[in-house]
Amino acid sequence: MSAARWSIVALVVLTVVSFAVGFAWLPSEHGDFTAKGLWDTICRAAGVPQKWSAGAPAAATRSTRVVLDASMQRPQAQDAIGRGATLALNCTMCHGPRGLSQANAPNLAGQYPEVIIKQLMDYRGGDRASSIMQALAANLSDANIRDLAAYYTYLPRPRNAPVTDMSIVPALVRVGDPMHNVAPCAACHGGIERKPGAPWLEGMPKEYLVEQLAAFAAGKRHNDSHGQMRNMARNLTPQQIEEVALFYARHGEGEEGR
Amino acid sequence: MLAHFWLAFVAFAGAIVLGEWQMYVRSPLHAWLDNPEHYYRSVTVHGVVMAYVLPTLVAMGLGYALSELALKRPLVGLRWAWAGFWLVLVGTAMAAAAMASGHASVLYTFYPPMIASPFFYLGIVLVVVGSWIWVALMSINLRAWRKENPGAAVPLAMFGNVAGAYLWAWTSIGAAIEILVLILPVALGFKDTIDAGLARVFFSWTLHAIVYFWLMPTYIAFYTLVPRAIGGRLYSDTMGRVAFVLFLVFSMPIGIHHLFADPQIGAGFKFVHAAMTAMVSVPTLLTVFTIVASVEIAGRMRGGKGAFGWIRALPWENPMMLAVAFSFVMLGFGGAGGLINMSYQLNESVHNTQWVTGHFHLIFGGAIVIMYFMIAYELWPQLTACAPLPAGPIRAQLWLWFAGMMVLTMPWHYVGILGMPRRMAYFDFTAPALQAQAWTVTASAVGGAMLVVSALIFVYVLATARRGAGSPEPFTFSLSAHPVGRVPALLNGYALWVSMMIALTIVNYGFPIAQLAALKETSVPAIPMGLR
Repeated sequence: MSAARWSIVALVVLTVVSFAVGFAWLPSEHGDFTAKGLWDTICRAAGVPQKWSAGAPAAATRSTRVVLDASMQRPQAQDAIGRGATLALNCTMCHGPRGLSQANAPNLAGQYPEVIIKQLMDYRGGDRASSIMQALAANLSDANIRDLAAYYTYLPRPRNAPVTDMSIVPALVRVGDPMHNVAPCAACHGGIERKPGAPWLEGMPKEYLVEQLAAFAAGKRHNDSHGQMRNMARNLTPQQIEEVALFYARHGEGEEGR
Repeated sequence: MLAHFWLAFVAFAGAIVLGEWQMYVRSPLHAWLDNPEHYYRSVTVHGVVMAYVLPTLVAMGLGYALSELALKRPLVGLRWAWAGFWLVLVGTAMAAAAMASGHASVLYTFYPPMIASPFFYLGIVLVVVGSWIWVALMSINLRAWRKENPGAAVPLAMFGNVAGAYLWAWTSIGAAIEILVLILPVALGFKDTIDAGLARVFFSWTLHAIVYFWLMPTYIAFYTLVPRAIGGRLYSDTMGRVAFVLFLVFSMPIGIHHLFADPQIGAGFKFVHAAMTAMVSVPTLLTVFTIVASVEIAGRMRGGKGAFGWIRALPWENPMMLAVAFSFVMLGFGGAGGLINMSYQLNESVHNTQWVTGHFHLIFGGAIVIMYFMIAYELWPQLTACAPLPAGPIRAQLWLWFAGMMVLTMPWHYVGILGMPRRMAYFDFTAPALQAQAWTVTASAVGGAMLVVSALIFVYVLATARRGAGSPEPFTFSLSAHPVGRVPALLNGYALWVSMMIALTIVNYGFPIAQLAALKETSVPAIPMGLR
C-alpha cells in the first residue's frame, strides 16, 4: 500500500475506534435511568434532546408570563404619551401628579418603559400581588399599558445628588458581596451596567425599597423571571438592606415634587 | 514586514501593561475596583491584542520574510500584502475604539449572548480578512516557486509557513461564521435572540487551532533557525514535515474539548474530541525529540562527550540557546498541564479556574512568545541592515521573561487546583477561606511586573538598533544532518492533509452544528454591553 493510503486508513481506523468508544462502549458502561438499548445510548451520547422529564409535575409557582423584548424598550410617539398622560390621572393619588410619590409608592417619572410594562402586566396577570394595583391593572389593555409606560418614561427622572466621594456608596452597590453570591446593585440597575427589566432606583422611597427587598427575600414577591432578585435578597442582612435603601433614597438637588 | 512587526510589538507593549494592571488591582495590594467593568474592558483589550493582533502580524511578517529568504525570490503581490496590512491596522483601530468606549467588554472569545458594538466585530473581521490575503499570497508565492523549480523539495521553512497559512484559513472560518451569521445580525439590531450554544461551538472550531497558528512561527524557528544559530545540524528534515502536516490534520477538529462543561454538546462528541486532542501531542513530542537531538549534535560538534557532557558544551552565552531551553521548559510544564485540561474527567477539577489562565500563559506567552522575540532578533539585521544587536540586554531580557512567566503562572496553577475561578475583578481576601490564597495573587502581580520590564527591554533593543549601520550576512537556515534529497511527494504538498483536515472536521463537527442549527429552542435573549 502507498503511504497516502496508509495515512487515510490510519485516520479512518482512529476515527472509527474513538467513535465506537465514545458513543457505544463508555455510555453503555455508564447507563442512566433513560438508557433503553444501543440506539438510545448512541443518541444520548450525540446530545439529542431527550424528553425524560415529560411525566414530571410542572413547576409549582410560575414567576411571570411576560417576556421582555426590544420593542418594549423603544421610545413611543407623542400621541402615545398624550394618551398615557390621560390614563395616568388614575395613578396620581399615590404616584404623584408628575410621577414622584409622596406616599412611599414607587416613583414612576423617567422609569424605563419595559419596567412599567412588565410590572403592570404582572399585576394584571396576578403574578405580582397588591390589592390596589391588581384592581387598577385588571381593566388595562395591552395598548393602555404601553401608553402609560410611554408617558412615565417621558417625565423627567429624579436624580440623587451626584456622588463625588465613592466612599459614601455602600459596598453592596459598588462591588456586591461576592462571598455571599450577591452581585453589585450597579451591575444591573445602572452605574456599571443596565439590564433590560431592571428599574431605575435613584430617588425611590426608602420604605418601598426595604419592603420589596424583604418580600423578595421571603419569596412573597416572585415575579423576577429567573429568581434573580430573590436570590440576591435572600442573602442580604437587614443592615445591608437598610444601607442600600437609604443610599438609593437619599435626596438630590433640584428634585421635583418633594 | 517591518511595519507588521512594529505594529505587533507596539500593541504587545500596550497590552502587557494592561495585563499587569489586571493582576495588580485584584491582588491584595489594591482596594477593590469600584467598577469591575473596567477590569473586563482591560481583559478584552489584552486578549484581543495578544490573541489576534500580535500573533497574526508576527505570522504575516515572518511569512513574507520566509517567502523571500527561503524561496530566494522577491515576494509576488507586494501591493496586496500592503492592502492586507492596512486592513489589519484599520480593523485593530476599529476594535480598539469600541473596546475603549466600553461597548465591547465581551472578552476576545466573544461569549454570546453578550453582544458588543458592531464596530468591534467588524474590526475583528477586517483583521481576519487582512490575514486571508496573506494566506492567498503564501499559496501563490509557493506555486510560483514550484513552477520555476519543478519537482524540487520545498524548503522546510516555507513548507511549515504555508501549512500554518492553510491551517489558519480553515480554522478562522468557524469564528467568521459565528460573527457574520450569528452575532452581527444581533449586534446590528435585526434580531433580539442568539443561539449562544451554536455560537460557542463555532468559536471552538477556531479556538483550538488558533493556538497552533500561533505556534507555527515558533516551530518554524525551532526547526530552521535554532540548529543554525547554535552551530548544529537539524537532526531530521522529514520529521519537521511530518510534524507540520500532523498539525494540519489534528489541530482543528478537536475544539470541543473547550466545551466539556457545556450542556449543548453530547458526551460522545466530547470524548471523540478529547481522544483526538491527545493526537496533537504527537507532533509536539516529535518536535521535542528532533530539536533535542539537533541540539545534542551541536553539543557534540563542540566537543561535548558522554551521556550528559554535551549539555555543558552547548553555547549557553548564545541568546538562541537560552531561548530554546526556556521555551522547552515552559512547553514541558504547559504541555503537561494541557494533557490534564484535555482529559474529559480531569478537566472537571480545573475547568474555568486560574489553572487554565496559567496553562495558556505558559504555553503561549512563555514557550511561543519567547521564540517570537528570537525571530525578531534574527530578522532585525536583515530588515533594517542594523549593526548586530547587543547580546547582553537580550540575554537579560530572556532571563527576565522566563523567570517572570514562571513567577506569574505557577501560583495560578496552584490556586487553580484549589478552585480559584478565573476572570474575577476582585477577591474578598478578608474571608477566611480565601485569605490563605492572597499571597499567590501578589506573587503573580510581581511576575507580571517582571514581564513588563522584559517586554520594555525587548522593544528598547529593537528601537535603538541603528538602521543601516551594519551589512548583515546573507540569511541562512539550518542545514540538515542528512542532506535533503528527494522528499516524498506526500510531504512536499498539502492536498492529502488538507482533505483529511476538512473530512475530519465534517465528521467531528457536522452533527453538533446541524443539530443545534435545527433546534428552535436553543436561542436565548441577547445582552448588549455598555447600556448603562
